[in-house]
Amino acid sequence: MNKKLLILLGILTCYVVSYAQTTVKGKVTDGSNVGIPGVSVLVKGSTTGSSTAGDGTYSITVPSNNATLIFKSIGFVTREVVVGERTQVDIQLLGDAKELSDVVVTALGIKRSEKSIGYAAQKIDGDALTMTKETNVIGSLAGKVAGVQVTGSSGANLGGTQKIKIRSVNSLTGGGSPLIVVDGTPITQNNFGGGENGVDYGNTSQDVNPDDIESINVLKGPAASALYGIRGQYGVLLITTKKGGKGAKMQIDISSAYTIDKIGNFLPLQNIYGVGNSQVFSKLANGQNYVNGNDESWGPKMDGTPIRKINSFYPQDPTYGQLSPFEPQPNNIKDFFETGQNINNGIFLTGGSDNSTFKIGYTNAYTKGTIPNTWLKRNNLSLSTTFDLNKKLTVGANVNYANNSGQRPTQGYQGSFTGAVQWFQRNLDINTLRNYRYADGTILNWNVNPNTAGVITNNKPSDWNNPFFDAYEVLNNDDRNRLFGDVNLSYQVLPELKISGFVRSDMFSQHITHKEPLGGRNLDNYAITKADGIDNNYEFLAQFNKNINDFSINVNAGANLYTTKFTQTSQSTVGGLSSPNTYTIAASVDRPNSSSYLRQKQVRSMYAMGSFGYKDTYFLDASIRNDISSALPSANNSYWYPSFSGSFLFSNLIQSKVLTYGKLRASYAIAGSDFDPFQTAITYAFGSPYPATSGTISSLTVPDILKNPDLKPSFANSYEAGVDLRFLNNRLGIDFTLYQQRNKNQVINLSVSGASGYETYVVNAGLIENKGLELTLTGQPVKSKLFTWDISLNYAKNKNTIKELYPGINVYQLDQNVYSSQTIFLNSSLNQSFGNLVGPGYKRDPATGEILLGADNMPISVNGVNFGSVVPNYTGGITNNFKIWKFDLGAALSFQSGGKFFSWSQMLAAKSGQSEITAALNDKGVNVREPVANGGGVKVSGISSVTGQPVTAYVDARTYYRTNLGTKFYDEWIYDASYIKIRELSLGYNFDSKILSKTPFKAIKLSAVARNPVMIWQKAPKGVDPSELSSGSSAISWIEKGELQTVRSFGLTLNVKF
Amino acid sequence: MKKIHQSIYYCLTVLTLFSSCNKFNDAINTDPNNPTKASGTQLIANSEQFLPTLSSSPFGVHYPQYLSNTSFPDNSRYVTTNFNFYGLYQGPLINLQTVITNTTLDASEGPIANQVAVAKILKAYFMWHATDRWGPLPYTEALKGKENFTPKYDSQQSIYNSLFALLDEANASLVNGNLKNDIVYGGDVSKWKRLGNTIHLLMALRLSKVDPTKGGIEFNKALTNGIMTANTDNLAYPHLAVTAQENYWYNSFTVLGRNWFAVSKPVVDFMLPLNDPRLPVFATKNSSGNYVGLDYGLATTVTPGNYSLLGTAIRQQNSPVYLVTYAQALFALAEAAKMGWIGGGDATAKANYDLAIEQSIRQWNNNDISGLTAYMLNTSVIYNPANALEQIGNQRWVHLFMHGYEGWAEWRRTGFPSFLAPPPNNNGKLIPRREGYPTQEQANNTENYKAAIAGFPYLGSDDLNARVWWDKP
Repeated sequence: MNKKLLILLGILTCYVVSYAQTTVKGKVTDGSNVGIPGVSVLVKGSTTGSSTAGDGTYSITVPSNNATLIFKSIGFVTREVVVGERTQVDIQLLGDAKELSDVVVTALGIKRSEKSIGYAAQKIDGDALTMTKETNVIGSLAGKVAGVQVTGSSGANLGGTQKIKIRSVNSLTGGGSPLIVVDGTPITQNNFGGGENGVDYGNTSQDVNPDDIESINVLKGPAASALYGIRGQYGVLLITTKKGGKGAKMQIDISSAYTIDKIGNFLPLQNIYGVGNSQVFSKLANGQNYVNGNDESWGPKMDGTPIRKINSFYPQDPTYGQLSPFEPQPNNIKDFFETGQNINNGIFLTGGSDNSTFKIGYTNAYTKGTIPNTWLKRNNLSLSTTFDLNKKLTVGANVNYANNSGQRPTQGYQGSFTGAVQWFQRNLDINTLRNYRYADGTILNWNVNPNTAGVITNNKPSDWNNPFFDAYEVLNNDDRNRLFGDVNLSYQVLPELKISGFVRSDMFSQHITHKEPLGGRNLDNYAITKADGIDNNYEFLAQFNKNINDFSINVNAGANLYTTKFTQTSQSTVGGLSSPNTYTIAASVDRPNSSSYLRQKQVRSMYAMGSFGYKDTYFLDASIRNDISSALPSANNSYWYPSFSGSFLFSNLIQSKVLTYGKLRASYAIAGSDFDPFQTAITYAFGSPYPATSGTISSLTVPDILKNPDLKPSFANSYEAGVDLRFLNNRLGIDFTLYQQRNKNQVINLSVSGASGYETYVVNAGLIENKGLELTLTGQPVKSKLFTWDISLNYAKNKNTIKELYPGINVYQLDQNVYSSQTIFLNSSLNQSFGNLVGPGYKRDPATGEILLGADNMPISVNGVNFGSVVPNYTGGITNNFKIWKFDLGAALSFQSGGKFFSWSQMLAAKSGQSEITAALNDKGVNVREPVANGGGVKVSGISSVTGQPVTAYVDARTYYRTNLGTKFYDEWIYDASYIKIRELSLGYNFDSKILSKTPFKAIKLSAVARNPVMIWQKAPKGVDPSELSSGSSAISWIEKGELQTVRSFGLTLNVKF
Repeated sequence: MKKIHQSIYYCLTVLTLFSSCNKFNDAINTDPNNPTKASGTQLIANSEQFLPTLSSSPFGVHYPQYLSNTSFPDNSRYVTTNFNFYGLYQGPLINLQTVITNTTLDASEGPIANQVAVAKILKAYFMWHATDRWGPLPYTEALKGKENFTPKYDSQQSIYNSLFALLDEANASLVNGNLKNDIVYGGDVSKWKRLGNTIHLLMALRLSKVDPTKGGIEFNKALTNGIMTANTDNLAYPHLAVTAQENYWYNSFTVLGRNWFAVSKPVVDFMLPLNDPRLPVFATKNSSGNYVGLDYGLATTVTPGNYSLLGTAIRQQNSPVYLVTYAQALFALAEAAKMGWIGGGDATAKANYDLAIEQSIRQWNNNDISGLTAYMLNTSVIYNPANALEQIGNQRWVHLFMHGYEGWAEWRRTGFPSFLAPPPNNNGKLIPRREGYPTQEQANNTENYKAAIAGFPYLGSDDLNARVWWDKP
């Protein structure tokens, strides 16, 4: 490798003699002295023309020294300059702020004017991402880009996983997130998220500092990402960070934000009946009524009857032996939480000299969680600089360092009190649990049972720890250091030709520990995981730009060597700790679990693309990429990825005062997707050792996954056509795209009959088709000195169909969840949409569709009911920005229609008798919990399976909800995820510039912000947020097993420029 | 222009250097994390670790009503219909099949013939257990990996025939020479041989209702080949006092702290009046110091302290799990003699019956036979030719305590004990007679799944009430 690098550097640094011709040369720069590529340079009154190179330099032959040069570029005001005696004409083009954005960064960092692009790409400015200081870049994109779906997790998760999908689900596995590229460096997206249960340490995209982002360009389809070949199947997020400008005065930007986090969206619970499974009080031998450690609320009425509460059984407790009234505790879940806080401070210095640019940025963020004793600290440091060694040779470097450390909550079943709506007592005063440890060290538990003599003989909770014990003693810590960036050299060989070399690196080191003392339901234990990843890209790029008469030519060729290496070592104690509270693996009582893992891979790539323009109106692009991946079988490891696109700027042919800009575009492309290494060779797996006294017996097992030596990469074929229109000088804009994408032969773990000996087979299989449309509307309905209103709307509708699966297999099982021996599957079936939820539900009368009731009038359950697809029908967002005098008001809203999800919390809240419906009044006005004989009971109607006749009857509420509905009728707990929510609100005041001119400040803006303030509407019942289905690293969020409580943040931000 | 050519040349050189070849160092795509070669005895050792799961099940213990639930009574009330057999195929069976078909076994771990024979015996044992629970199952087309992902279901009759043949093969091929890495018998192949034949014998007895002729022939074949002769031959999984190898019930009671399982009323009410010396092993005394069985299958939660919970000796971290036992073989001999499958009539039946009870008490009571003599003098225990089959059935039921699936199979076959009643107020649900197929099969193996149900010998649907082949109504 090093040899290759040396040669590359040699080529880059070798001296090349420049042409000795009489020409006018110069550089075209923008307002911040950055060269503008692709500017047309024409000699007025002739057909001679040229265009600027990537760094803005040009060279043109002029017929006489009184020639006039015309400089034209989209997004800039056209300028005419008389040459006179000069041979060097450097000029600056001023851009219309509105139009400046028309230069976009495309694949491999190639800057192009928007008009020449034949595929859909959507750009978001950094300001739009940091409106309310959302800390995760992915999260800040929610609702802002048409066709981009973001599934987040609650703010309580402190930087938990945010998932992003472009143009719906394009993978049979549901996976496939876009490649993230920061200043040309592809960064890894490792996820330490766990699943629906456990600690979500988040994905590593959160190491990108949102404050540092200048813009994000979203490359949506394979045509846009074709130049990324095997890595570009699911689209690309091209992130450009802030940069300094040549010769620019140093600018200092300071931003500060303080927000508080409040929790909301509580599931409505009943406050009539307390703990127990019958309405009769449990009695001690001495006749006292008492509360035991049961975790359901089907018990007696909380009517103030004197009882022995759980604390009263602990001799250490001041209430020991005392009776107290049995009363509801309506806030016993809410009171557990705390108000969180976020503090975020950043400083950015940008500037440059005649031959250099720099940016230095530092951001520090601290979050105190809403769950007690949780926090996250983050530091981001970045440096970006360029330096011209001479007129032709430029070196540069981008360095980003991020450190994250956190103490995080656990989500899901038996998580950080996330199970409280699932199994709990409505009568339990959470504040009495707060001092969880008595002076003698005894832990106060609620989920334990005193015997009838009133003695707790076994103080080990059966399912639920004291939540404060969990919060303060069971600690999940993580710490990650991340460094990514590049060093680069570029050499302007000719005005038309630039060659560059890059060495890019992305490395991280992650450290996760879990500490758990004795006192809860588990043995004391300690676990530690260390993961290290390093990805390197060695990249070469040659760019050639030339205008010949009416033709413009832009050719790029490059090569890339990608290497990745990941190692992980995990250890955990087994059988307890030999010395209490000593958190080291050495304290393991039994042989500790220990594993080490190494994964490595290389991809070699070559690519070229050409863009040809005619009269600045017709553009044609073609690209080709070859990838050779080490993860593929060696006989068959080289694949080609072509793309074609074209655009037609028809507005150039029409003289219209209304239509400012009109472009038609179309493209076709193939992009690919590789897979993890080691999938092609069959191996065995280590089984548990058996430590017999005569010596340890090792064991080996055949893995459940059958590997396949004939794997290929998968291919995505996409067709796309669109139109981009701007009317009335950009007051109104419409971008509209129709697409069809077919992702074929994906590498999946196909579920097979386990009787084959295997659970899954790794195969290339399937064809998933997505057809859809994307619409972006931008408008400026009002534009005046005192009041300006900008609005943008994104909308994307997608239809998704599984066209092919593996021969003979009609259903592909993606995921499943088992509870109470009932299994719900996430399946994809042939000729249906991706991801159907299939599970136990009502057995229905085939004739009428009515539910069937058994002899006991309870509904009859049947397996295999299809509840519909998890994929949304359409998604989108609306962003409004109002400028009123010195105030800015911004609001970002997002919406989704359709997509099913399963709420385990809602189900268990009913099963455990906590949900409001379990203690509602029936149509006779009697509480459903009253005996049926007394007019109580739940009213059920259906067709009797015994008589075949319609029946209406009243049934016992507990049997109905606990044994039936809450166990095996998932129809009731699968919801439509449609919602409309306000994600961000910001009201800012810009201090008067006249007043500031007497101070060192250039600008000051103070804003009041709100993040996630309101769920305007959701189709699913209150208590579960369909936009925050947090399922950690699993590909698809379809199940909610105890979300962390919704967080709403409110605060102030201050931005100061010097 | 020359310069441009030159530059292009440079570019191409660099491009070529980057990606000219498509060869990688082999090491880069070789999985360094997992072994590529399998050891036969290590695969067997892994399969052996699945043995306790055949007994230690929170479902199996309820069908013959050994245990009742103090709380969460769903399992004792048959809420679950479908049970997953994938784990057996993906776990022990594919490991064993890999040993049976492997051509590169290492003779330094013990004679290759013995590695294969032991794998066959274990395969037969796991398969037998499975077919007794589900009935028809994939067998001839199963365990073939990518050659067949949708294996057909064989009838239980044909599976029984195949397993008899498999056990014959194993019996015939065993040679002298012990094996390494054997958790259950320390590599002693003579014990494996007796185990294989005992399994053969017990399987043969299962045919008593449906095909006594075939049953008798297979029974005698197994007997001739040599069955267990002492409790030291028992197949019992030796759990260890370490977390990774601990007893399931220890985990449930002690690790998870759940007093969810009480000994059921039928067990206590049968054993207590007879002063059965095994009762103190099977059950604890309640908080009042009495043996009180919990009514079977109540819908509500009870206070655990009021009842006899599962005996502490059975739920130590290293309590063994008994699977195929000498006493069970003796009960089989007693029954065979009574039915006339073997000679000796009532005399032989009585001798085996008495010895079976003694060996059962020795097994459960750590070889302590105090109380045995008195126990044998109970009128209802004394061998009585008039109701010998019921006596044998009831005693076997006691002996098989905690091995729920086996006790349940014998109950289905013999109808003994006859005093087990379905859970009360349970919408008329009867005691199950089979378990439902895994729901995944409906999607993964649709046609064969449907064909299997259509081929049930006594009809019925994929539920708990259809009968397996040998359970002839």
